[in-house]
Amino acid sequence: MITIEYWLILSSLLLAIGAYGVLTRKNAIVVLMSIEIMLNAANINLVAFSSFHVTLHGTRDPSGMVFALFSIAIAAAEVAVGLAILLSVYRRYKTIDVDKINILRW
Amino acid sequence: MNILEWAWLIPVFPFLAFILISLLPKKGLWWEDGGGYAIAGAGGALALSVWVIWEVLNGHTLTVGAPTFDWLVIAGFKITFGIWIDQLTAVMLLVVSIVGTLVVVYSGGYMHEEAERRRRYYAEIMLFISVMYGLVIASNYLEMFIFWELVGLCSYLLIGFWYERPAAASAAKRAFIVTRVGDIMFMAGIIIIFKYVGSFDFGTLFANNAAATTAAMPKDMLTLATALIFGGAIGKSAQFPLHEWLPDAMEGPTTVSALIHAATMVKAGVYLTARTYPLLIHSPESLLFVGIIGGITALLAATVALAANDIKRVLAYSTISQLGYMILGLGAGGYLVIHGGSEAGYAAATFHLMNHAFFKALLFLCAGSVIHSVGTNDMRLMGGLGRKMPITSITMLVGALAIAGIPPLSGFWSKDEVLSAVYGAGEFHFTFFILWAMGVATAFLTAFYMFRMWFLTFSGSARSEYHAHESPKIMTVPLMILTALALTSGAALFIGAGFKAFILGSLGSIPVEPETETLGEIASAVFTSPFTYLVLGLVIVGILSAYRIYYMHGFNRTIFAAGIPGKFQKALENRWYISKFYDDFALVVVYGFSKLADLFDRYVIDGVVNGVAYLGARTGGVIRKAQSGNVQRYASIVIIGIVIILFFLLYVLPGGA
Repeated sequence: MITIEYWLILSSLLLAIGAYGVLTRKNAIVVLMSIEIMLNAANINLVAFSSFHVTLHGTRDPSGMVFALFSIAIAAAEVAVGLAILLSVYRRYKTIDVDKINILRW
Repeated sequence: MNILEWAWLIPVFPFLAFILISLLPKKGLWWEDGGGYAIAGAGGALALSVWVIWEVLNGHTLTVGAPTFDWLVIAGFKITFGIWIDQLTAVMLLVVSIVGTLVVVYSGGYMHEEAERRRRYYAEIMLFISVMYGLVIASNYLEMFIFWELVGLCSYLLIGFWYERPAAASAAKRAFIVTRVGDIMFMAGIIIIFKYVGSFDFGTLFANNAAATTAAMPKDMLTLATALIFGGAIGKSAQFPLHEWLPDAMEGPTTVSALIHAATMVKAGVYLTARTYPLLIHSPESLLFVGIIGGITALLAATVALAANDIKRVLAYSTISQLGYMILGLGAGGYLVIHGGSEAGYAAATFHLMNHAFFKALLFLCAGSVIHSVGTNDMRLMGGLGRKMPITSITMLVGALAIAGIPPLSGFWSKDEVLSAVYGAGEFHFTFFILWAMGVATAFLTAFYMFRMWFLTFSGSARSEYHAHESPKIMTVPLMILTALALTSGAALFIGAGFKAFILGSLGSIPVEPETETLGEIASAVFTSPFTYLVLGLVIVGILSAYRIYYMHGFNRTIFAAGIPGKFQKALENRWYISKFYDDFALVVVYGFSKLADLFDRYVIDGVVNGVAYLGARTGGVIRKAQSGNVQRYASIVIIGIVIILFFLLYVLPGGA
């Protein structure tokens, strides 16, 4: 049996990779994708703890899985909105380079 | 129904007139733009005052236990508005009601040419009369102080009646500011008393020979408080060194000078001092101070009056001088009360207050009649008016004789009483002998300058082109009434039980052993004292010298302009340089200090405020660069922040999270 630690290490790695992508990539679509990776890291955590519940207490608790399902649904909606924003940004500035979209500043 | 309980209605009549005159549409003002309402208001107050005075004459007073109205109730104590009717109040009521009414009637002629402005004039004068009554019947110091300030306001408004004249505008401001110095002292005095005794009420403060007050206050504080309250009188009654506003106040209409600056408001200071007697007699130092200020003022103002060329200024200085007499009489009277238990000084001063109000109002209204006719105040441009204005010249002659102190006119009796009281007080403090000598000198000077004024105005030949005519009846009738009063008010000393026995009642619980002299003894005391003849002789010499110098031809007046007399005259014409001193003082010290304060404000206060703002702006300018608009930078800061927080929670804080 794969113990909880492995799942947590996997999700930490995914979160770190996602965060790295969010912070470094210039392309807004890649940034969006990195956010998805971070979300999935969280989902893995939720599911992992849900199954860990049995190990810990001997009973089943599906709430973690339910949360993961909600999270996936919301992530889908979020991507739709995020892509729509990117589309508008592209129409307005002819670029989706996040370094160049910086007019909201001093 | 006790009419005294309704005495609070007295100020209500003129106040209603004030409201009506101020608010009615122009058509509703009927006679003289509100003059009709003014006469009605003053007349109503006069009628009620006379009724109240009649009751007081019959021995009824209303002091402690008078109906009051709670004005402010603050945990533990309350401030009330009440009335206080005793013999002293009655004397002031008599003065204010009679002079007030006559002046308002006289204004019907004097202010006739002012057209639309009469409405403002009548409104202000009604407000003045109303608050003056309020001051007179007030039953506690705070109430008195409120009305005290209000009469000051009315004085300011009326001095500045012709505000478009720079002289009038600045005189009004000067009067307001200079009297304010005294007002602040008055306020400080009553606050000190309140701090120790916890009450403003005359009833509480004065009861049982002011036992509660003297028990609650240390001797020094009582002296300080009474001296400060007298400071209010110095300002309001134009005593040295705050006397210079009164001559300037002559810029107002002559009726205002007669009513406010001769007969009533300036008497408020004397009234206040007399009212404070129960406290003053516990502080001989304050009384001595009162006497000295009075004596100096009397002599100083009389000397300046010698050289004044403006008819109203002569009268103004004469007013200051006579007020000094009253104050001197009160100061000396206090010593008499302390040492001899005699009311002589107090009675003399209040008697002089009453008589002076009548003859000085008369003199001012006569001067107004002259000015109305000639169109100038300058006596050098008058002369020879006696034939053209017979009524005015004769009534003014009576006024001048009264103030000079020729028997049997009113001034003779009261002046003699004041001087004999001051001489009597000399027995207890030698300073009063000096002050008595100053008073005698003042009597001589008074006779001289009054007749100088009369001769310059009415005798000889005209010194400029003018078309003088006698004033209309509405002005001469009040003159004649006042003449009758100036002739006869001295007789009050002998009417009924006599003025002295009458005024004694207002001393309340002060222990005095009234001089049990009959009226005949009073009269014989006057006519057997050598000092009476000394003063009378000096007065006659004064009148005769004025006659020789200003009436008879061939006197070379240029001798006054050269050598030592010339220097003297120059000093007098410049009012002993006191006015100039105040101007210079204001210019150098006050203006200099203001400039300093301005610089401090501009560079230090503003500097701090602007500096803080500048610092904020600059800091903002620097740190706003953090808002780069780069989303990834924000995100990295967030992540770094989370990492730091986690680090702290997990490793630094004891026990971990």
